[in-house]
Amino acid sequence: MNTQQRKAFNWSQFSKKYMMEIILGCIVLALMLTAPGFFTTGNILNIFRNVALAGVISFGMTMVIIGGEIDLSVGSSIALSAVLTATVTGALNSRGILPMETAVLVGMACSLLMGAVVGLINGFLRTKYNIPTFIITLAMLNVLYGAAALLSKGFPVTTLPDWYNWIGAGQLFGFFPVPAVWLLITFAVVFVIMNMTKFGRQVYAVGGNPEAARLSGIDVAKVKIVILMTVQVLAAFSGIILSAQVMSGSSTFGRGYEMDVIAAVIIGGTSLFGGIGKVWGTMIGIIFLGVINNGMTLFGVGDFEKYIARGMLILLAVLFNTIQLQSMQKAKAS
Amino acid sequence: MSSLTVRNIIKNFPGTRALDDVSITFESGKVNALLGKNGSGKSTLVKVINGAYQADSGVIELDGVPLEFGGPQDAFDQGIATVYQEMSLIPGLSVAENILIGRYETNGPFVDWKKTYAKAQSLLDEMGIDMPVRELVVNLSVWQCQVVEIAKAMSCRPRVIFLDEPTSALAQHETQMLFRLIRELKTKDVIIIYITHRLQELWEIADTSTVLLDGRLTGKIDMADAQPKDILKLMFGDVTIKNRPADLIVSDETVLEVKNLTRKPWFRNVSFTLKKGEVLGIAGMLGSGRTELLRAIFGADQADEGSIVLDGKVIDKPNPRIMSQLGLALTPEDRKSQGLVQILSIKENLCHASLDLLAPTGFVDTKLEQRYADRQVDALHIKTPGTDMPMTSLSGGNQQKVVVGKWLNIGPKVIFLDEPSRGIDVNAKQQIFQIIWDQSRKGVSSVVVSSELEELLEVCHRIIIMRQGEFVDVICPEDTTIEELYSHCIGSEK
Repeated sequence: MNTQQRKAFNWSQFSKKYMMEIILGCIVLALMLTAPGFFTTGNILNIFRNVALAGVISFGMTMVIIGGEIDLSVGSSIALSAVLTATVTGALNSRGILPMETAVLVGMACSLLMGAVVGLINGFLRTKYNIPTFIITLAMLNVLYGAAALLSKGFPVTTLPDWYNWIGAGQLFGFFPVPAVWLLITFAVVFVIMNMTKFGRQVYAVGGNPEAARLSGIDVAKVKIVILMTVQVLAAFSGIILSAQVMSGSSTFGRGYEMDVIAAVIIGGTSLFGGIGKVWGTMIGIIFLGVINNGMTLFGVGDFEKYIARGMLILLAVLFNTIQLQSMQKAKAS
Repeated sequence: MSSLTVRNIIKNFPGTRALDDVSITFESGKVNALLGKNGSGKSTLVKVINGAYQADSGVIELDGVPLEFGGPQDAFDQGIATVYQEMSLIPGLSVAENILIGRYETNGPFVDWKKTYAKAQSLLDEMGIDMPVRELVVNLSVWQCQVVEIAKAMSCRPRVIFLDEPTSALAQHETQMLFRLIRELKTKDVIIIYITHRLQELWEIADTSTVLLDGRLTGKIDMADAQPKDILKLMFGDVTIKNRPADLIVSDETVLEVKNLTRKPWFRNVSFTLKKGEVLGIAGMLGSGRTELLRAIFGADQADEGSIVLDGKVIDKPNPRIMSQLGLALTPEDRKSQGLVQILSIKENLCHASLDLLAPTGFVDTKLEQRYADRQVDALHIKTPGTDMPMTSLSGGNQQKVVVGKWLNIGPKVIFLDEPSRGIDVNAKQQIFQIIWDQSRKGVSSVVVSSELEELLEVCHRIIIMRQGEFVDVICPEDTTIEELYSHCIGSEK
C-alpha cells in the first residue's frame, strides 16, 4: 500500500517535471508513424539546422528572462549584424585595405562588438533610469532595423570567401550541419554558466527578487547589463551565421525572429516573471518548435497557417505554465 | 445617540486565541480610542467588526440590532467604514473623483461632472473641510490625503467609522488639522473608533480609551480622569522581563562607529558606537527612522551626510556589496519581499550572500555550497526535510532563520536585525534571541530594531531611543521598566 502510494506519487512528480519532454516525445512518435520522410537522418539534421539561428539566441534569452527582463530587439540585431559584417568586409576589401580573409574577420568582430554595445545601451537604460526593457528593446527593434536598412542601401552583397559559407551552411564530417554545432556549443556554454557558476546563481536571484538580491550584496545592475549584452552578442552571432548561409547581408533578415526565440524559452518552461527556468528546457523548446514546423511542412501546411499554429502554441505554453504555477501556489497555501 | 456593542467575541487563529471573550460598547458623539501593543488583538477586533474576519463566537449589535456580515463589503453596506493607514486613494484622480468613486452623478451613460463636483463640494463643506475638489490627489500632502480618505468614508453616511492610526505619518501641525476634522465628526451621528500608538494624543483627542492585552479587554477608562501610568498599566499588565544570559561580554574594542549620519527627512545627526560582541537595541515608534537608519548604514539607501567607520575603515559610499564584503549583514524588516527569494530553494537562499566564498574562481563549489546550507540548517535548527525544498515550504520563524543563516555564512562582524521577531511564534523568537547571543559570544555584534519593547529589554546590552528621526536617549535595560521605555519612545515622559 505504502510503496504503491509512493510509486504513484513519483509518477505524478515525474510527469509534471518532464511534461514538455513527454509531449515532445509523443509528437515525435506520432510524426514517425504518420509523416513520410520524418524519421530520416537527413530530416532530423535538417530540423536542427533550421532551428539553429533562433536557437542560438534562445539560450541568451533564457538568461535574460530568468533575470526578469526581456529583449524584443534581437530580430533587428540579426539584420544589422549580417549587413554590418558584409558591409565592413566589402568596404575593407574593395578598397584594397585588407585582403578578403582578414576583412571578413574584422567584419565579424565589428558585428559582435555592435551586439555588445547595443546590449550595454539596453542595460544602461534599464538599470540607470529604470525603464522597462520591454519598451527599451521595442524602440531598439526599430532603431536597429532602420540602421540595417540605411547601411545596406547600395551594396548589401559582397564577395565572401568560401570558408565563410562553411559557418552557415557547412557540414561537419560531411553530414552534420555546422549551424547545429553552434547551437550545441551555445547550449553547453550557457548551461554551464547558469548551473555551475556564481553568475548563474546571481541571475536566478536577481530575477526572483531583485531587492533581496541587492540586499544580499549582489550587484543587480551588473548582472542585468551582462545578460542583456549576452543576448545581443548571440543575436549578432546568429546574424553572422545567417549572412554566411546566404553569403550576403540584408535588412530583411531576422524579421519576427524574436517571436521564435521567446517562444522557445517559454515553451521550455521559463517563467516570464523571472527567477524560474532551465537551460535544458529551452533546448526542448527549440526542438519542439523545429519539429512542429517540420511536421507542418511535411504535411504541406501553408506559411500563413503556420503562423497561427505557432501563435497558438505560445499561448498554450504560457497558459500551461501559469496554471501549473498557480496550482503550485495553491497547494502551498493550503 | 447610537451605540455599537460587541459581546463575548472569541476569535482563534491556529495556535493562538487572538480575542478571548471581549465585550465592549462604543458610543457616538465621542472619540473612542482603542489601544494595545502589537499582538494585543486590537487589529483582530477591528477586522471582526468590519467584516474582514468572522468571529468564532459572540455578537455584534448596532443600537441593539444584531449584525451579521458575509464579508467586508457587506459590513460596509451596513454602515461600518474603515479608514486604513495605507492610503487607498488613486493619485491621478481629483479629490472629488476619489471621494465619489463609483458613485458619480450621471446623465445617461455620461458622467455629469458639474453635478459630481458640486456634490463633492457640499460633502466637504458639511464636514468643514476646506479643500479644492478639482485638485489631483497626487499634489496633496499626506494629511490632506488622510482628510480625503475620511471624507470618502463619511460620504457613505456610515454608522461606525474606524480610524486606523491616522496620525502615524503626520507631523505635529498636520496632526492638529486632522484633529479639527475628527472633532467635527463628533457632532455627526457616527461612532468613532480611533486606533493609535501615540499615547500623548489621547488626552487631546480621545474621550474614552479601551485597552486590550493578549486578546483580553483589560479596561475602558474615561480620559478625563486617566493618568498616563494607568493606561500603560492596562497596556502592559505585569510583565516579567527575562534576563539575558550573564556570560555575554562586551569588549572595549569598537567595531562600528557612526557619526552625524543624516538622511532627510527620516533621521538627523545620528551618532553611536558599537563594541565588539555588543547587542545594541534601537527602540522607537513606527516612523521614528529606525529602519531607514539601518538601511543607510548598510548602504541600501544613500545618506545625505555623516560618516561610517566599520572595523577601522572609513566608508565613503556604502552599498550592500561593499558593506557585506566588510562583514556587515542586514536582515530586513520585510523578509518576504526584501530578505528572501521565495521561489528559490532553501539552499540557494542560504548561499546568496556568500557566493564570493563559494565561487572564488567563478565556478560554484557545489559540495561546499551544500555544506554551507547544511551547517546553517543544523546550527539554527531550521525545520525542513531537505535544503532543496522551496522557501515557501517553511514557516515564518524558519524563513527568518534562513535570512539570518544566509548572513552567518559570510562570517559577519556586525549583524543588523530589523524586526527579527515579526510574525513568528514564541519558540522561534527565543531561538532567534539565542542565535543573537551565540553570535555575541563569538564576538559578533548585533543591532536589533524591534517594536516589541520587552524583547529589546530582554535581548540587548544597551538601548538607544529614537524619536522622530533623532536619538534622544540611551538606556540600560537593567535600570528601566517597560512603561518607562514606552513613554520615552512616544515622548510623553514625566
